[in-house]
Amino acid sequence: MTVTETLAFSDEAMKKYEWLLSRYPTRKAALLPTLRIAESEFGELGVPQMKYVADLMEIPPATVFGVVTFYTHYRRAGVGKYHLQVCSTLSCALRGSGDVVSRVTERLGIGVGETSECGLFTLSKVECLGSCDTAPVIQCNDDYHEGLSLEDVDALIEQLRQEAGKGGA
Amino acid sequence: MSDSNSTVRWTLNGTEVENEAGMTIMEAAKVHGVDIPQFCYHPGLSIAGNCRICMVESNRSPKPVISCSERIAEGLEIKTQSEVAVDARNSVMEFQLINHPLDCPVCDKAGECVLQDHSYEHGPDRSRFVEDKNIRHTKELGPTIDIWGNRCIVCTRCVRFCDEISGTGELCVVERGDRSVVDVFPGVPIDNSLAGNTVDICPVGALISSDFKYEARVWNMDKTSSVCGGCSRGCNVEVETLDGFVKRLTPRENLDVNDWWMCDHGRYGWRHLYADSRLESAQHDGQAVSPTGTSGALHQLLSSSSSTAFLVDPYMTCEELHLVRSIANSLGGSTIAGWLPAAGTEETFPGGFKISADKHPNRKGAEHVLGSDLFTASADQLKSALSNGSIDTLVAFVGGDGFEGAGGEWNDLISKAGKRIVFATQQGSWCDGADLVVPATAPLEKEGVWVNEDDRAQRTRSCRSLTSNHFPSELVVLQELQVHMDLRNRPLSAAGIFRELSETSDAFSGHSHSGLGDSGSPLSQRPAAMSSEGGHS
Ligand code: SF4
Ligand code: SF4
Ligand code: FES
Ligand code: FES
Repeated sequence: MTVTETLAFSDEAMKKYEWLLSRYPTRKAALLPTLRIAESEFGELGVPQMKYVADLMEIPPATVFGVVTFYTHYRRAGVGKYHLQVCSTLSCALRGSGDVVSRVTERLGIGVGETSECGLFTLSKVECLGSCDTAPVIQCNDDYHEGLSLEDVDALIEQLRQEAGKGGA
Repeated sequence: MSDSNSTVRWTLNGTEVENEAGMTIMEAAKVHGVDIPQFCYHPGLSIAGNCRICMVESNRSPKPVISCSERIAEGLEIKTQSEVAVDARNSVMEFQLINHPLDCPVCDKAGECVLQDHSYEHGPDRSRFVEDKNIRHTKELGPTIDIWGNRCIVCTRCVRFCDEISGTGELCVVERGDRSVVDVFPGVPIDNSLAGNTVDICPVGALISSDFKYEARVWNMDKTSSVCGGCSRGCNVEVETLDGFVKRLTPRENLDVNDWWMCDHGRYGWRHLYADSRLESAQHDGQAVSPTGTSGALHQLLSSSSSTAFLVDPYMTCEELHLVRSIANSLGGSTIAGWLPAAGTEETFPGGFKISADKHPNRKGAEHVLGSDLFTASADQLKSALSNGSIDTLVAFVGGDGFEGAGGEWNDLISKAGKRIVFATQQGSWCDGADLVVPATAPLEKEGVWVNEDDRAQRTRSCRSLTSNHFPSELVVLQELQVHMDLRNRPLSAAGIFRELSETSDAFSGHSHSGLGDSGSPLSQRPAAMSSEGGHS
C-alpha cells in the first residue's frame, strides 16, 4: 500500500494496459480491467490511485470514482489486509450465511462494513458469488472458502492471523 | 403499410394516429396532447431510461414499456391510462418515495418539484414502507451547488449534463442500490460556467443552488420572460422576483439560441441592480431633480447647446436608440457614436452552447438603427472631437452593470465635454461634475428589443417594480423630452416606438413586438402579414 506522489504503473503493468486497450472498442470500456491492474500494482484503490487511472485513461476522475464504488469487488482504501466478503444471497442465506456473519463479528469484534483495529480484517456482505453449490461462501481477497461450517470460519481467521505473522492480534 | 416511409400509423389510447417514424412514444404522444410523466428523460440529454415512471401498456410486450426510449411502430397500440399503465406508475412512485425524506416544507424545490407533482398525480396516498429510511450525504459539491443526497432519485440527469453538455464530467453516481447518490471526486468540485443548469434540471430538490437557497418559496415569485444582457448571445431567461426584487434567473427554452441552458455569469450576474452605488434619482448641478422634472432639465440644457454629441451604449434597446436618433436629428448638426465594453473570453461547450466573448447585447441593433460605423469610425471621430474640445454638450449613456462606466478611455473623454448630461446605472467618476445625471435602467430592467450577434431580434422585458426603484426609464424620459421639443404629442409604449422604428428602418420593417413574441425572430425572417399593434402607453 505504498501511496507516493510518483504513483505509476510498472513497465509490465503498462504493457498489459496497452494490450487491454487493443481489445476494447473505446478507452473508457477498458476501465474495469485497468482498475484490476491498478489494484494489484498499488494494493488498493484510494483517491490518488483512482486519480492516476483517470489521468492515464484521460477520463474524468468522477467516472472512475463512480465505477469503483459501484462494485463491491474492488479494494477501496481503508480495507484491511484481508477482505472477508460473506455472500448473503439466497443459497448462502439458506445455508446459514447469517450465522457466518455473526461468527466473524463475534471473533473479530467488527460489524459489517468495519475494519478490525489491527487493520487485518474488513467484513462485508456481498451478493451472490456464483458459487451457490458450495454455499455458504466467503471470498477472502481473491480466494473462495466454500461450504463453511462455523468451525471452518474460526479456522480461517486463525490461519489468516498466522499468515500475517500476528498470532495474538 | 404507412402512406409514406417516414410516417407511422399507430394507436394511442384507442385512437389511430400518425407520426414521423423514429419518434419515441413519449414524443409522439405529446404531439397528440398526451403528456407522459418523466423524471430521467430530458429533451436535451441522452436517454437513460432508469426511472421507469414513463411506463405505458403496449400490445407488443407482455410487460409495460418505457415510453421515453421505445419508438413508435406501425400497428403499435399504446395505452397510457389503462389499469396496467396506472398501476405501473403507482408502483414506481411508491418505490421512489421509499427512501425519500418528504421534507417538502423545508425544500427549496417544493412547488416546482417533479417528484411532488407526480406523487400527487400518480402515486399512492400512503406508504407501506415501515423500515428505516436510509441516509445519504448532504454537502457542498462545488462553490455554487449543494446536494441533499436523501432527496436524490438517481435519475442521472445532472451527471449526463456534465458529461454531454458542459463536457466537464465532474459528477458521478457513487455506491449502488439504495445507497447510490450523486457525488464529485474528492477534491474536484463541480465548477464550470454551466453548472447552474444542473440545479434547474434536477427533477427533485437534491441539487440546490447555494445562491438561491432559502431565498423564496417559488410559488410566491413573479416571473418575467426576458433576455440576458451578459453577452451577445442573448439567452432567453425567466427573471423571478419576490416583492419586486430579483431572486434568481433561470433559462427559458429557445432552441434557436440557448436550448434549455444559460451560463453562470448571466445567471448570477444581477446583483449590480441593487448595488450601493446604484443611481436612484436625477441630479442637476448636485441638486436632486424630481422624476417628473428630469426631462424639463434635459430640455433646458439641450436648447442652449451649440453643438451636441450623443454617446450611446450597446445595452440600450432599439427603441431607446430610435428616440436618440430622432432627438439628435431635430437638434441638427449633432453627432452620435457608441462605446463598447471590454471583450471577455469566448467559451464553447461540447453540447453546442456558446458564451460569446462580446459582452454587448444590442450592438447589432444599435448598428441597424444608427449606422454600421457607430462603434468604429463614428466613435473615433467623437473621441478626437472630445479631446480637442469641440463638443459643447455631451449626452452620454453609461449603462450595463455600470461599475466600469464606459471604460477607462471614454470615462476620461466624457469629462472633457463643456456641458455633460450622463445617463448612468451606477455612480462613478463619469458622473462627477456632470450638469445633469439621470438614473438609467440596467439590463433586465428594459422594455424593448435587442438584436443578438446572430441578427436575431428578441424582446427584453423589464422586471422593475415600484418597490425596487421609482425613477422613470429612459424610454419615458426621452419621449417626455420629445414632447418638450414638440416632436411628439404623448409618450407611447415600447411596442409603439418599435412600430415607428419598423416604419422608418429597413432592417426592422415588417417586425413588431407581438410578432417577435416570447422567442424572437431573425431580422431577415419577416412575417408574411404585417400585424397591427397599439401604441398605447
Ligand atoms: S441529483 Fe437530481 S439530477 Fe442528479 S441524479 Fe439525483 S435527482 Fe437526478
Ligand atoms: S451566454 Fe451570454 S447571454 Fe447567455 S446566459 Fe451567459 S452571459 Fe447571458
Ligand atoms: S448465493 Fe452465495 S454464492 Fe450464490
Ligand atoms: S422517463 Fe422514461 S425511464 Fe425515466
